[in-house]
Amino acid sequence: MARKEYQKRLDELREDVLYMGEVVQERMRMGLTALESKDETLADEVITRDAEINELYLALERECTDLIALQQPVAGDLRFIAASFKIITDLERVGDLATNLGKYTKQAERDVYPDVDVQGIGAFALEMVEDAMEAYAAEDTDACYEIDERDDELDAMCERASGFVVRDLIETELTEDTTDAEIERLLADVSRLLLTIRDLERVGDHAVNVAARTLYMVENDDALIY
Amino acid sequence: MSDDTSMNETPTIETHTEAKSTDDRSPASEADADVAGMDDQSIGEETVIEARDLSVFYGDERALQPVNVEIPDRQVTAIIGPSGCGKSTFLRSINRMNDMIDVARVDGELLFRDTNVYGEAVDPVALRRAIGMVFQKPNPFPKSIYDNVAYGLRIQGKDDDLDEQVESALRRAALWDEVSDRLGESALDMSGGQQQRLCIARAIAPDPEVILMDEPASALDPVATSQIEDLIEELARDYTVVIVTHNMQQAARISDKTMVFLTGGELVEFGDTSRIFENPDNQRVEDYITGKFG
Repeated sequence: MARKEYQKRLDELREDVLYMGEVVQERMRMGLTALESKDETLADEVITRDAEINELYLALERECTDLIALQQPVAGDLRFIAASFKIITDLERVGDLATNLGKYTKQAERDVYPDVDVQGIGAFALEMVEDAMEAYAAEDTDACYEIDERDDELDAMCERASGFVVRDLIETELTEDTTDAEIERLLADVSRLLLTIRDLERVGDHAVNVAARTLYMVENDDALIY
Repeated sequence: MSDDTSMNETPTIETHTEAKSTDDRSPASEADADVAGMDDQSIGEETVIEARDLSVFYGDERALQPVNVEIPDRQVTAIIGPSGCGKSTFLRSINRMNDMIDVARVDGELLFRDTNVYGEAVDPVALRRAIGMVFQKPNPFPKSIYDNVAYGLRIQGKDDDLDEQVESALRRAALWDEVSDRLGESALDMSGGQQQRLCIARAIAPDPEVILMDEPASALDPVATSQIEDLIEELARDYTVVIVTHNMQQAARISDKTMVFLTGGELVEFGDTSRIFENPDNQRVEDYITGKFG
């Protein structure tokens, strides 16, 4: 095989993107655990270690740029690099959303609406990311379509959860004894919960993006992009 | 030395009547066209050159497998492939340059504007006036810049308004501004890039319809190369350009269509350049352009 060094760099890029995917998934797990157990130490770790993900992102971005500038990739190689370039952006955003979970953990003083299954939604979204990265690794286009379909389910879960919270908030009866501080605290708690649900829904969107770019990479098919 | 030196006063090639009409294509050649991955996009574009089961032999050895392809008007068609794959053989078969090789033999048809250029009535010298050629190494005549461009025009007796025609050709070859004040100087004193643009000016002076280029920038530095590439894109507004290049990035940059020949003289794929370089149909083409073999 010709261009051995180039092929080696392509293989390494694939490995590094998969590694970044693993780091991001681990960070999501930590964020969800911190949120569930109100573990501020773990939350701090999630927040501070976001810098690692950012560094990984920048290194891989540089590698993609170098490969394009120096190796002039074409055809399948070009699609692989272009797709990877986009996928690392999505992974970096998932890392940011995991960081948000750490921040919400530190801001929360109590559980509001414990009936809302944040952990279930989080696990669902995380599994989509895991499967999207497996699809990328295995170049599994069937899995790409399947992940896209699953996003509708996640959206419905999030919409139900948000609707439940908003409806309940509207129906909450405030008495004369309710202080302004209590009202502000309630609103802050509800806003945080709604933001958490929104963030988890976005994790699913990023998983779909990974699947969409994988489909493009494998089959030059942009059916799932937008 | 350029074949222009052998020009005579033979008139046009439009005398041949034996060529099949485009509706007369045999089922076999259609099948071959499918194998070559002909793009649907080529349908509707005016075809200038068409190969129908065109094979070239050197003695007993087949240098070109049967080629079926339609090259569109006023576009740049690049021919790429590894060394010895037949790309220059195909290029040279378009204006019968292979005639100069004693052992070369051609089967099939090569139609230029629906006329088989290998028909008995076709004069190869006149053909080469309509289908000019630029070679890898600049080959100006040891004459003045002016005379290099005027040479073919004089031979054809087109010497009315010669100054105007020379200036026009030099302008079209993007050389006029650099040489307008030294037209009497020897062409051999020019830089390599200028010499190559002079050869292009010489090729376009007789107003051909097609310009064949055989690795025209491979002997030039990057600046001269980019000037030639800019020029090729300009020329494609008025001429059909067919270019052989070893530089795949050059093919990707400047061509509208790409033909990929692979080992054994086989045309493996032909289509829009963007598609060939983003998503080729053929795995061997993918392997070649990504550097996995060749």
